[in-house]
Amino acid sequence: MEGLRNDGRRWNELRRIHCQLSTSSTNADGSSYIEQGFTKVLCNVTGPAEPSSRQKVKQDSATVTCEVYFAAFSGTDRIKRGRNDKKVQELQTAIQKTFSSVILTHLFSRSEITISIHILSQDGGTLAACINAATLALIDAGIPLKDYVCACTAGQSTSIFDNEGSSPDPWLDVNYLEESDIPSLTVATVGDSEKIVALSMENKVRIERLEAMIAVGISGCAKVRGIMDSEVRRHGKEKLEAQGE
Amino acid sequence: MPIQIISPAPFVTAADDYDEEHEGGVRLDFDNDGDVLMDEAPRRAGGQAGGIVTPGEVVTDDPQWMRGHGTYLSPATSGQSIISSLAGTISKTNKLLSIRALKFRYIPEIGDLVVGRILEVQTKRWRVDIAAPHSATLLLSSINLPGGILRKRTSTDELQIRTFFSEGDLLVAEVQTLSNDGLASLHTRSLKYGKLRNGVFMTIDAGMVRRMKSHVLTLPTSNGGGDVDIYLGVNGYIYIAKHTTPLTESTTEGKSVSITRLEEEASEAIYSNVNEEISPETRGEIARIACVIAALAKGGVKVDEEMVELGYEAALEEFLQGVEWGGDGEAGKRVVAAALAKRRLS
Repeated sequence: MEGLRNDGRRWNELRRIHCQLSTSSTNADGSSYIEQGFTKVLCNVTGPAEPSSRQKVKQDSATVTCEVYFAAFSGTDRIKRGRNDKKVQELQTAIQKTFSSVILTHLFSRSEITISIHILSQDGGTLAACINAATLALIDAGIPLKDYVCACTAGQSTSIFDNEGSSPDPWLDVNYLEESDIPSLTVATVGDSEKIVALSMENKVRIERLEAMIAVGISGCAKVRGIMDSEVRRHGKEKLEAQGE
Repeated sequence: MPIQIISPAPFVTAADDYDEEHEGGVRLDFDNDGDVLMDEAPRRAGGQAGGIVTPGEVVTDDPQWMRGHGTYLSPATSGQSIISSLAGTISKTNKLLSIRALKFRYIPEIGDLVVGRILEVQTKRWRVDIAAPHSATLLLSSINLPGGILRKRTSTDELQIRTFFSEGDLLVAEVQTLSNDGLASLHTRSLKYGKLRNGVFMTIDAGMVRRMKSHVLTLPTSNGGGDVDIYLGVNGYIYIAKHTTPLTESTTEGKSVSITRLEEEASEAIYSNVNEEISPETRGEIARIACVIAALAKGGVKVDEEMVELGYEAALEEFLQGVEWGGDGEAGKRVVAAALAKRRLS
């Protein structure tokens, strides 16, 4: 089919996003679940709480820690990823750095905010889904954020060339097949602004293509924000109605 | 160059009424065919009373308002507007604008009755988990020492600190002081407070306990359960225990003892770690009350004395009709609905 990707989407079409707040009733202060296509992520947030170790005590702000767990069955091959796995650690650092800059940490001195993420299923855009899930869980926990942090992926097809020599459209929200096939990047923005808080790319791409990819990613983020915001409002309304009775 | 992003295909299931096009929120960010507009006007808080604001939403740019909790000021370059940092409702106190989050961690206040768990024993104090951002401290000097309330603390007491409370013990206490960075200090210098035993511990969200005159309820139960004490900690920690008659009465029955001896016995019993014999009937009723409180909190109904009583009544009626309290949450929903109906009637 002309102009359609392998899963039938257009270049600028998002996969289905389904999100939920307050999914876990135990221990966690906030929790969320997000599905972006077949990427499924569960997130729990605890805190601000007493730091688990002395090293994590900061006198004037809260420490943000992130734990990422890959379910062994989450990918196409059954892989057990331990605590020291490179990919796990990379994700943890990326998420931790992103949120340290967005959470108003100065309000909670000498405390720790723990973001714990379980990846249940991977189908491309794992980092993006993790960031989105963490945002929702933090909102659910009532932790002050500057704004939503929304993440989205964008890829650049290398095989298709336009006759006129202009570069083809970048692909928004790549799935696993596309991700393993073409260069792609993950971009996270703060709210509606075009301020980027996280940008990660693991492949090589021609420099001329990069700008278009980032632009598409940013627009995707804005769309994701709208979807997440409507879920937060729906959840909030439901909760207020229950209390109003 | 505005980029049009096509929204994902609609997703509808029987259980979920999520549909962004018919979403009745305060405000929609996109037009009806689901296309986001890149050059849209700055977002504004829903003017509706009782509306919800979400992080990053401009609450107001009117300079007359003062910024309260849950908000922050935008950078000076774009005019000083107050922006929400939480998802919750706006509350206005005179000229102070603050946001109350839908769910939040407990923040201690002086006079709160809290249920806590001992985390650590230090030389002259305990560290107590009260579900707040920081653990609270309980000084050796702010507990009732055995052998009379008015006894001075001695070095022997310091050495025997674990005989009063040791790690993992549950206690009910009152917030006595707060340091200026929000650290709470507790006290148990009343016979109402002290170690907890003979019951079950449970947690709910801190915001779900309504502040009341008294947070210790005594509920007479049916099915031969006897009286049950409920300690509704303001911090969301709850302890439900078999009712114990005030210690002074129980010790004077049977044997006549001198007043000093009585105090000693009473105090020793305060720090006992051994549960009394609890009949299966009482256990059943304690479990029922725990289920009712969990269902109320899950249903978003604030827990207070009235709702616990009504909920318990409703649960009993369900039980008498032969309905088993299943783990599916349906029974809980029915009980909450019945309790709310009862409250509307009264």
